[in-house]
Amino acid sequence: MRILVVEDDADAATAMVRGLTEAGHEVTHAVDGAFGLLEAQKGGYDVYVVDRMMPRLDGIGMVETLRKDGDQTPVLFLSALGEVEDRVTGLKAGADDYLVKPYAFSELIARVEALSRRRETGSVATMLKVGDLEMNLIARTVHRAGQEIDLQPREFQLLEFLMRHAGQSVTRTMLLEKVWEYHFDPQTNVIDVHISRLRSKIDKGFDKAMLQTVRGAGYRLEA
Amino acid sequence: MRLPSLLRRTPFRLTLLFLALFAAAASAILGYVYVASASEARGRAEAAVRSELHTLTGIYKERGIDALNRALVDRALSDSPFLYLLMDREGSVITGSLNASPVTDYAEGEQWITYPYTDTDAEGRVTRPQARGVQVRLASGEMLFVARSMGDTEAYLSRLTQALWAAMGIVLLLGLAGGLLVSRNIERSMARLNRVVTAVQDGDLKARAQIRNAGDEFDELGLGLNVMLDRLEASMASIRHAGDAIAHDLRSPLTRMRARLEVALIDAEAGRIDGVDALQVALDEADSLLKTFNTVLAIARLQAAAGAGRTPDPTLFDAADLAADMAELYEPASEDKGLEFSAEIERGLMVEANRPFLAQALANIIDNAIKYTPSGGAVMLRARRRSSGEIEFSVTDTGPGVPEGDRDRVIQRFVRLDNSRTEPGSGLGLSLVGAVMEAHGGRIQLDEGPGAYGGFGPGLRVALVLPPAANA
Repeated sequence: MRILVVEDDADAATAMVRGLTEAGHEVTHAVDGAFGLLEAQKGGYDVYVVDRMMPRLDGIGMVETLRKDGDQTPVLFLSALGEVEDRVTGLKAGADDYLVKPYAFSELIARVEALSRRRETGSVATMLKVGDLEMNLIARTVHRAGQEIDLQPREFQLLEFLMRHAGQSVTRTMLLEKVWEYHFDPQTNVIDVHISRLRSKIDKGFDKAMLQTVRGAGYRLEA
Repeated sequence: MRLPSLLRRTPFRLTLLFLALFAAAASAILGYVYVASASEARGRAEAAVRSELHTLTGIYKERGIDALNRALVDRALSDSPFLYLLMDREGSVITGSLNASPVTDYAEGEQWITYPYTDTDAEGRVTRPQARGVQVRLASGEMLFVARSMGDTEAYLSRLTQALWAAMGIVLLLGLAGGLLVSRNIERSMARLNRVVTAVQDGDLKARAQIRNAGDEFDELGLGLNVMLDRLEASMASIRHAGDAIAHDLRSPLTRMRARLEVALIDAEAGRIDGVDALQVALDEADSLLKTFNTVLAIARLQAAAGAGRTPDPTLFDAADLAADMAELYEPASEDKGLEFSAEIERGLMVEANRPFLAQALANIIDNAIKYTPSGGAVMLRARRRSSGEIEFSVTDTGPGVPEGDRDRVIQRFVRLDNSRTEPGSGLGLSLVGAVMEAHGGRIQLDEGPGAYGGFGPGLRVALVLPPAANA
């Protein structure tokens, strides 16, 4: 995946480029919003990772300009501003996701990969299929190897999110944000319990465990 | 008060402006009265002269020039208000009370003139009052001049003018004195307020304006100033408190992190653990420190908001949905621990609140209940509208509870009761809940739970009470 990192903090940028390259991505770094805009206009990127506060042209200005030019490449905002209103301003400017500094690296990678996937599945699907696991979005049913699995509504949403991001790590924070739509720290790992319930429903009695725990990151659904 | 500085004072300048306007108006009235009176006096004199001239020409027409001459002599002797002069064809004086006609360029017909003539008043002083006169040529060629003094009117006008000037002078003096008085009065009131402002500028946030209970605008301003200063002082205190608290709060986790890193380093050097594990320890410690830091900042922000009497980023939403979401989120974790979890949620509990903070507050008290209740116990979440209209969330557990004397204390930062130290936690959970409630104009209430239950007890009931949305 080709990623453009626009970040004025040299240390943060170096760490990000290292980490994302390590994760197998092709990374270009721009030192501020103006350079970022020039680089982005060359095209060919799958995701932009943009720091919100930068000299010359800040992240908001850069993303607004890109969106005005019709560039729909997914944008992940990085910001030290984490209040609700900051998040709302960032998303209004055209960002697709918002990550508050400081963040864990696993969180950044998980979100970047989730964004690129989001673009691929832009069309409206009625069926999701990962390995022998099938989800019918209309009938709200789930089958594994032809065997029906009975899920609670929230478990269904959780599995849907995992299936849409199959093969990628998703973090607990992402799940709380995207499935429950809450931004807060749940103290204990309540998400883990939901995952383990879901796991017992979709993996129990099958040879292959699809729902994997990724150490230090979160979870991954694998075919 | 020196005059130049007085001139810069608004009330005094207003007084001067007012006086100037008054003087201008008085002058205009005076001028009008003068002009009107003068023109009327001239008109009256002219009418009298015209009538006298008519009488005299009548005498001349009926009885001839000699009769006219005699009439003029009679009149001159009888203290007439008129001045007469009869001249021959060339203008030489025949009879009259004047030495020469003031009309120097007589041509034809009636020729009118206003001129000053010389007279002596009762005390023998020479005066030069104005007179209005007319000169005509008689049929036989002689010229007759008749005039009447306007001296009376003039004296009246000059007395009037004097009176008006005097009145104006008195008014100006009184006005000036009044202006000074008012100015000084306002000056004093302003000085009282200014002293407060100066004191605050010099760093004394405790300075307050004296209120005289006069109910005037200065009292109003003073009251406003005091309220503003109260707010400012409260928020300054809260910021200072937050700063102290952050510094204090971060010292112990930092110290702990340093100690653990040191141990990890020693272990790694001794080959007991490898470097990766040591770094993982360091990362976990940094994460937990960041979490603590974020919580402390959130508490500070909420307390600052509470000090200013507002909720940060409030939205209108149904708290019943929020409570249901929280129940759904925590129920599995609760059951995993062997607790019976139940929820009783009334519908339609509209609140105007910060949704993420309220969610965090609810999460914290549910999390506490699950954490401190031993297996086999029960946790119950309730959300309801009190009869007072307030919205109440309560979490009741069957854990050991909190002794009555400690209930206020556990809401303070970093307070962990002895029997809770074995559980993970920062000691900030309930402080954050307290701060969230404070910033919403609500409160947190800790009570005893349902009593002994399954060998444990007496349990704890934590209630969060919120004011209902104003327009719900």
